[in-house]
Formats: sequence, structure tokens, C-alpha cells
Amino acid sequence: MRRVLGIAVPLLAAAAAVGVFLLVPHLVSDFHSRDLAEAGVFFIAIVGLNLLTGYTGQISLGHGALMAIGGYTTAALVVHEHWRDVWTIPLAGIAAGIVGFLIGIPALRLSGLYLALATFAFAVAMPSLLKKFSGLTGGSQGLSFLESSPFQVTGLKGTVTVFGHTTTANHFLYYLTWGIGLVGLAIAWLIVRGRFGRAFRAIRDSEAAAASAGVNLPLYKTLAFALSGVYAGVAGSLFAIQSEIVNPLSFTVLLSILIVVGAVVGGLGSLPGLVLGALFIKYLPSLAGHVSTRPGAPDFIYGAAIILVVILLPGGAGGLLGRLFAPLTTWLYTRR
Amino acid sequence: MLYTAGGLLCALALATGASGAGTGSPGVSPTEIVIGGTVPMTGFAQAFKTVGLGASYYFKYVNAHGGVNHRKIKYILKDDAYDPAQTMSKTRELVEQDHVFAIFNSLGTEHNLATRPYLNAIGVPQLFVASGGTTFGKDYKQYKWTIGYQPNYRAEGTIYGRYVAKTAPKSRVGVLYQNDDYGKDLLAGLSHGLGKKAKLVVSKQSYNPDDSDVQSQIAKLKAAKANTLMIFATPTFALQAYRFSYKLGWKPKVYVNVVSSASNIMKVSVLASTKKQVEGSISMVFVKDPTDPRWAKDRGIKLYRSIMKRYKDKGISASDPYNVYGMSAAHTFVQALKQAGKNPTRESIVKAAAHLTIRNDPFLLPGVVVRTTPNDHFPLDQARLERWHNGRWVSFGGLFRVR
Repeated sequence: MRRVLGIAVPLLAAAAAVGVFLLVPHLVSDFHSRDLAEAGVFFIAIVGLNLLTGYTGQISLGHGALMAIGGYTTAALVVHEHWRDVWTIPLAGIAAGIVGFLIGIPALRLSGLYLALATFAFAVAMPSLLKKFSGLTGGSQGLSFLESSPFQVTGLKGTVTVFGHTTTANHFLYYLTWGIGLVGLAIAWLIVRGRFGRAFRAIRDSEAAAASAGVNLPLYKTLAFALSGVYAGVAGSLFAIQSEIVNPLSFTVLLSILIVVGAVVGGLGSLPGLVLGALFIKYLPSLAGHVSTRPGAPDFIYGAAIILVVILLPGGAGGLLGRLFAPLTTWLYTRR
Repeated sequence: MLYTAGGLLCALALATGASGAGTGSPGVSPTEIVIGGTVPMTGFAQAFKTVGLGASYYFKYVNAHGGVNHRKIKYILKDDAYDPAQTMSKTRELVEQDHVFAIFNSLGTEHNLATRPYLNAIGVPQLFVASGGTTFGKDYKQYKWTIGYQPNYRAEGTIYGRYVAKTAPKSRVGVLYQNDDYGKDLLAGLSHGLGKKAKLVVSKQSYNPDDSDVQSQIAKLKAAKANTLMIFATPTFALQAYRFSYKLGWKPKVYVNVVSSASNIMKVSVLASTKKQVEGSISMVFVKDPTDPRWAKDRGIKLYRSIMKRYKDKGISASDPYNVYGMSAAHTFVQALKQAGKNPTRESIVKAAAHLTIRNDPFLLPGVVVRTTPNDHFPLDQARLERWHNGRWVSFGGLFRVR
């Protein structure tokens, strides 16, 4: 009986998640589903960062820059090559994955604070790099899909038809983003519960111990960077598709920091809490704005909220969920 | 579990019911008409916020006097921080969440270029764009839902070019311009206006709107031995241009574009450099300057002052001429709305906007007429030249047509 339940409960939870995913856009206004799609972009980036930081222990303050690689890959393909926007997503993921891999190489020699600083430098340099190669990136004006190739934008007229089923453009973006997000989450789950995940966690907990147990450090570290880059690239691509315009201001250092905040709030080293992390960074700024609009006040409230969460929820939302469901999981999975 | 499912279904039914309820044009109810626009309320271009705020005060005044056809005008202003990507998302919010009837008076060339294809694809009027981008008046056949307002930048550049060619044919001209469609429009106009004298331009230096300063550009212009400086830049950078030329001991004859020549900004330029540095600068003008003693007893400026006194927000100065510009745009919108019929539709307001003849706009220079026809989408095309003298603008020469 308990064994059956042990399998049934996770399946039910997954089914409930899919149910919520399908229903949510119908419970909120059409425009709000676009807001949720934006949160989905953060979610994907956070899942990627969590693989790297939460499971492998490699800090990255440069994920906003990896998102820029993805976003600009999509934008360049749409604007210069007139690709259909949604078909660029895989390529954007691969491009950012390659850049992630390349960052992973010097990262082999850096650890802790030094790695954080190196990736931070990457994030700081990104807007200037984007302005430098203005032929490809449109310089500080960026690239606007609608100005250059409006007909490659899915849902330009407000509706999208997929397999004969018509939905609003905003619903389409929601399902596209969170659909990819859930698949990404499932893949991340498969990765961390298998051999790769064990290697990643071993590196996080002690590199020396991992190496002596036969874990190939360079391989797994660069692999974690590349994988994480793919997630960030896909997120950046979806970001570009949603905003239909990219410019250097969209990918500042602040974005990189937001993703780290989202991962910490969601819970490093845990996957289910990350949805909350994404919603936190998407909605907290506007909530803070509702509390008070005096100059500086929203930023203050935002900062205070982050500090509170970190103090009150040391494991992030994932840690909280873990504790809430601890009695159930122990009952289900402990052999007596 | 059952309860939850039932609740969800109820919510679903409510959601579909709500979306099917509206009839007639979006944003138009028997008592209200909702329009919206974006301006930079924060960031490096926030000096422009009064373009939007000034318009909002005029609407408050109109509402207090009964509105238009018994409808109050609700004008939703959103902050885009002068970032076209934010203009795009805020405009989408206005259209899809606030269900505005039209986008009105949104500020910035790149910013309106970013939203134009979207608004035209879904048929939302983009009225009286707060930018002199020539394309907003010129390309009406391709973008039938869009219309500009102020004299276009190309024409403005042409005027300065002609004036230099005529009055100072031996000058060496240096140009500081913003590296986007706005700056390039002015630059192209300047070359056009100089005509055969185009070689007078000895150096052109550009900056990006998100750069921190223009010190090196000014140094290069000085090094090119220019004796005339064209400032085709937004207020922050125009101030810096005066400041850095002063610091480098360079005293060129300055032409400053309308975008940055509001008298309150000129006064800050004086503070940032010296009286002498700014004295003799030349610009173009089409709205009444509220600080100009010439208009002290003017009917339009009196109206302006009474509206400001009554409706302005804390921290907004009544001597900021961008308020006057905003009010003029709002005045034109109100006229177009009246012409659009008792029950305005998006089609009828766009049609009205292309059939305007407004001779009595109290906020514009005497004699300036707001005029559009189906083949002419440049509402304002008259202006005067002005010279900065003893701490204020003095206009000279007659009213001329800028095309």
C-alpha cells in the first residue's frame, strides 16, 4: 500500500502541476497571462542557474549575459535572416550553451568568490560588447522585430493558431514559455537524480573528495556550465520573443543579480520551489511600487523583502516546501 | 476537490463573460474616454515628463468644464525610462490591459518607431506622437494609424543649414548628434539646408542616448577647429555640451535644437557654464514660452497659468515650457475628438486627425495654424528663429514654414 502511494503521490503532484499550468491563464485576464509568461522566462533561467550553483556549487553572476546571447541570437536570426521567431529557440539555447561551456574553461581554475567576480565581469561587459558590434546587434538602439520583419512575429495580430486551435497571442506566449519551462524542469530533474546529478553534488560538497572518488572534475564542471547556459539561452530567446525588441538595456547586470535572487529565494539545490522564486522576482518590484511610490521607497521595500526571505527561509521556498511535506515524505519513503 | 473544480469553472465563466461584455469602441463609455501614453518619468531623459504631464493638466481642465460630448478624458501616463523596450511593454499594457481608445503624445523617436508596427497591426490610433521624426508625418500611407505633431526634425535641420549658409558662409561647423533616427534626421536636414555649402561641416560627433557624457565628442569638435556648434542632442547632453565647451575654453556660435532649447534648460546651461558661453545661441520656437515677459498679458499664457495653478503636481514648475507643448498637443486632441463625432470610433478619430484646421490654439505662437489634410500629416509646420539674449529667448525674423 505504502509503496503504491509512494509512486502515486509524485505522479499526482505532477498531474496537479500540469493541471494548474493549463488552467491558470483562464483564471486571470488575457494580459496577465503575458505577465506570467515573463515570469516563465525567469523560471527557465533560474532552473538553469540552480543546476550550476545549487547542484554543482559553481557561483555565476553572469547569467543575464548568457540570456543576452540567447536573446540576441533570436533577434539577429529574426531581423537579419527573417527566421520565424519561435524556430530560433533551439539555436539560441545552443549558442548560449557554447558560450557557457567556454566560460566553464577558465572557471576550472577559479572558485568561490573569484569565479563570482569573473562571471560578474562578463555580465558587466555584455552591454558594452553588444554596443561594440553594432552591425550585428543594432548598437544601443538594439533590434526591433516589428520594425524589421513584422511577419516573422508569431501573434502579431493578437491571435495564434496552432494545429487548428486558435488562442490569443498572450495565452500562446504563456503556454509556450511555461511549456518549455516544465519540460526543462523535468529534464533538470532527470539529470540531478541520475549519475550526473551525483557527480555534480559531489563536486559541490568537496572537489577533492569528488576527484578522489573518480569524478572527472573538468568534464562535469564545464558540462554544468554548458547545460546551465542552454537554459539561460532559451530563457533569453523567449524574453526576446515576448518583448519583440532587444537592446543592451534589457540585459544589464541587474538581470544577472535578479536571477541569483530568484534562485536563492526559490531554494538552491531544490527544484519545486523555483516557481516561487520566479514569481518573486517578477512580481515583487510592482508590489513594492504599490506599497509606496515615493522616490526610492520601492527599492527599499524590495531590498527589505529579500533580506527577510533570506533570514526567515534559509532554504528558500524549496526548503520551506521540503519542511512542510517532511512528515508525508518520511512516512512514504522510510522503511521501518 | 469538487468544490475547487466548481470554483474554477465559475471563474472561467466569469472571465469569458467579462471579455464579451464591451460594445462599441474600446476605451469609450458614455461618461469616459480612456487614452494613454508613455513618457520618461525617471532616468536620464526625465526632463521630458512635463510633455505628458502638461497634457494631463489640460485634460483635467477640459473635464472640469464638462469634458467632450459629456465624456471625461482619462489620460493614463506610463513611465518608460526612455527605453524603447519599456515603451513597447508599457504600450502593450495600455492597449491590452487598460483597453485605451488611442495612444496619445507618447514621447521619443525610437520609442514611437518601436510601437508603430504593433499599433498599426492591431488598428490602435497612435496620435500626435511627441517626436519630430519625419517618418511619422511622411509614411502615413504605410502606417495609417499614426500621425506626428511638432515640426519635423529634418525641416528644423534644414532651417539651421540655410541660416548658416546665408549669414555665415565662411564658418566651420561641428555637429554633436544623437546616434539614432532623431539625431540623423536633424543631421540630414542640416546638409540639405547647407546645400552647396555642405563642406562647411568639418566634424560630426555622435553619442548614444545611454552614454554617460559627451566630453570626448566636444573635445574632438574643438580639435577640428570648428567655430560653430550644432547641438542635436537631448537636454542632459545639451547641458554637457555647453559645460564642456566652457571648460575647454572653446566659444563657438551655438545652434541648439528645439528638443533642448526650452528656456528652463537654457537657464541651467547658463549655470553649468557661463552667461557668456550661452549668449547668442540660436534655436527655433513654435510654442509660447511661459517665462517670456512678452506673453505676460497673453490670453493663452494666462489660461496656461490658471490651469497650472489649479492642477499641477507638486514639484512641477510652471515655467517649464514642455508643459505648454503638452497642453497644445492636448488642445489638438480635444479638437480632433470633437470632430470625430458623438460616438467616436478609432476610425473616426484617425480621420478627424487628418482633417484639422486649428487657428486658435492658445499655446502656440500667434499665427501658427495646426493643419492636416488626408495628404498632409504634419500638423505643425510653422516656426520662428530665436536668439538667446540676456537670459531669455528673443525671436527674430517672421514666421516661416518648415518643410
